[in-house]
Order: sequence, then C-alpha cells, then structure tokens
Amino acid sequence: MADSVISVQYLKDFVCSQINDDEKWAFNKKLLRAMGLFAGSIVLMRNYGDLMAI
Amino acid sequence: MAQAPPTDTKLDEKVDYFNLPCPIPFEELHREASSCFLFSVSLKPELFEGMRFDFTKMLNQKFSLNHSVSMGPTEIPSQSTETIKIPTANYEFGATFIDHPKLMLLGRILTDGRLNARVKYEVSENLTLKANAQLTNEPHMSQGMVNFDYKGKDYRSQFQLGNGALLGASYIQSVTRNLSLGAEVFWAGQHRKSGVGYAARYNTDKWVATAQVASTGMVLASYVQKVSEKVSLATELLCNYLSRDVTASFGYDYILRQCRLRGKIDSNGCCAAFLEERLNMGLNFILSAELDHKKKDYKFGFGLTVGE
Repeated sequence: MADSVISVQYLKDFVCSQINDDEKWAFNKKLLRAMGLFAGSIVLMRNYGDLMAI
Repeated sequence: MAQAPPTDTKLDEKVDYFNLPCPIPFEELHREASSCFLFSVSLKPELFEGMRFDFTKMLNQKFSLNHSVSMGPTEIPSQSTETIKIPTANYEFGATFIDHPKLMLLGRILTDGRLNARVKYEVSENLTLKANAQLTNEPHMSQGMVNFDYKGKDYRSQFQLGNGALLGASYIQSVTRNLSLGAEVFWAGQHRKSGVGYAARYNTDKWVATAQVASTGMVLASYVQKVSEKVSLATELLCNYLSRDVTASFGYDYILRQCRLRGKIDSNGCCAAFLEERLNMGLNFILSAELDHKKKDYKFGFGLTVGE
C-alpha cells in the first residue's frame, strides 16, 4: 500500500486531540449539537413538512 | 396508455444562459429566513419585553406619522454571565414619506436623543441610492452609510461608503436559472480591518438554500421551505470559528387570516414565539415570549398596534 499524507494514525491522533482537550471539546460539543439540529431540521422538513401545513 | 414526456430534462438542456433571472441583492441573502427567526424586514428583532404601543396615522397616501411607546426592562451588557436589566420607558416619534417607487424618506427620533434616518431614491431604473444614519448624543457613536445599488439583467452590484472610512462592494450573478453566486469585500479604515466573503444561493419554487463564508470567521447556512401559501419553515446554522461560537435555529411562520404566529428554537436552549392577532381593521394585539433556559432569562411582552 502506498504511503499517503493522511494516515489512519494521523486521523486517530486528530480525533483524540479534539475530544480530550477541554476547550476544544466544549466547542465541538456545541458544533455537533448545532449541526445535528440543522441537518435533522432539513430532513424533517423535506420528509414531513407537509404534515405542518394548514 | 399514459406517456410522460421528459419535459424537465429537455428544459434543462435548453436553458438560455443569456436570459437568466435577476438574483436577489447580496445583502438580502442572509435575510431569507428573517421572518421565521423573528426579525423584521429591516432586521430589527421583533421580540420585546414589557409593554409596547404603536400608532400609525396616514395623513395622506404618501405621508404618515408614527408614535411608539415602550415600557419595560432593557438589558445592558455586562462582564459577568448574569443579565442586568434596567427598567426604561421610551417614546419614539416617526415620519415616513413614500412616493412609490421612486422615493422613500423615513425618520425616527427617541426621547433619549437618538435619531434614525433612511433615504431610498431611484436615480434610474437600474440605479438606486440608499442612505441611512444613526445620530446620538454620545461622542463618536453616530454612524452614517451610503449605498449605490446597480441592477443588471442577471446580476446585481453594490458599492458602500460609511463613516470611519468604511468601504464595501458586493456582486452577485445568476449562474443558472436556480443558482446564483456572489462575493463581497469590505475595508474598515478606522479599525484597519478588511475582509472578503463568498455566497451561494439555490432556489426552487418550494425551497431556498443559501450558504455564506467570510474571512471574518463567519459561516452561515440556511434552508427555507415554503410548505404552503400560509406556512413557511426555516433552519439556519451560524458558526464563527474565530470566536468559537455556533448556533443552529429552527423557525416557523404561520400566516393565517386573523393572526400571524412565528416561533423558533435554537441549539443554545432558547425558544421564542411572537403572535400578532388582528382584532379589528387596523388594530392588532401582539404577544411576545422568549425563554432562555441556559441563562435562566425569561422575557414576556404584550402590546397593541393601531393603524396600517
């Protein structure tokens, strides 16, 4: 397998650094919650939006 | 036997790129969902706390006077996490002159000495001049801005001049029948700051999606769905990666015969609603509520608006 710039170990280290650092995790938690609400709202609106119609 | 001619694909193939629709102005891209998120057309927040009374009197078809009284707590910025409120009472007098479509003049003055003035003048069919000013008694707090808007066949451009050596320009172009792309650049001489931003908007008959990125660290994405003639739903994601702040909101707007109900909920644990009930011709009763569970700040307001 050819060496790639982004290895699996690099990704693991990146994810761990984002989770273990308190300050970064506070922001990431807010970001995940906001993105979940945004994406979930879009999915619900497109699939079930007609149920809210009058 | 039913036949379904592929009209859609044929139409897509024959898009006339020299006859694209004119896009919306760049500054209005982030206002798509403003009504669902409880902002007025001028982006003033509709939610309020306390009592509000508005009276508008049309003196003739073009000229009207406006009296507004508001009483209630006003939030003042504080260093701590607690919100500090001071009870205040304000009276605002305003005058509006509209000579549709060429000229609009608007002025508002408050009892604390603040003056807001707006002018909109159509120099020609394609060129519009807009100016607005906020004048206060406090030194160095007054602001003024002039905009020149040019509307082309399938593009719009704007040039801005403001006090404090503020210069800005924006351009938006229709790329296809549904997609428009834009960019803006600004320079604030007084603060020695500059920035650039890009935006994209995709619209269909039923929904509109917009995305904006700016070098100030702002990322904005919004999606508005028109569920029916009376109901709109919207969602928005606003992120500033420099100040590490992110908020997502979901809002709705119900326009019914006798009332208009709008509400929103966001990812910071804040939910709000705004009701305008038409009691009679020209008489509206308004109710406002905002519950911020995270900060434990609860605001309720009621009011009356008289006149169109």
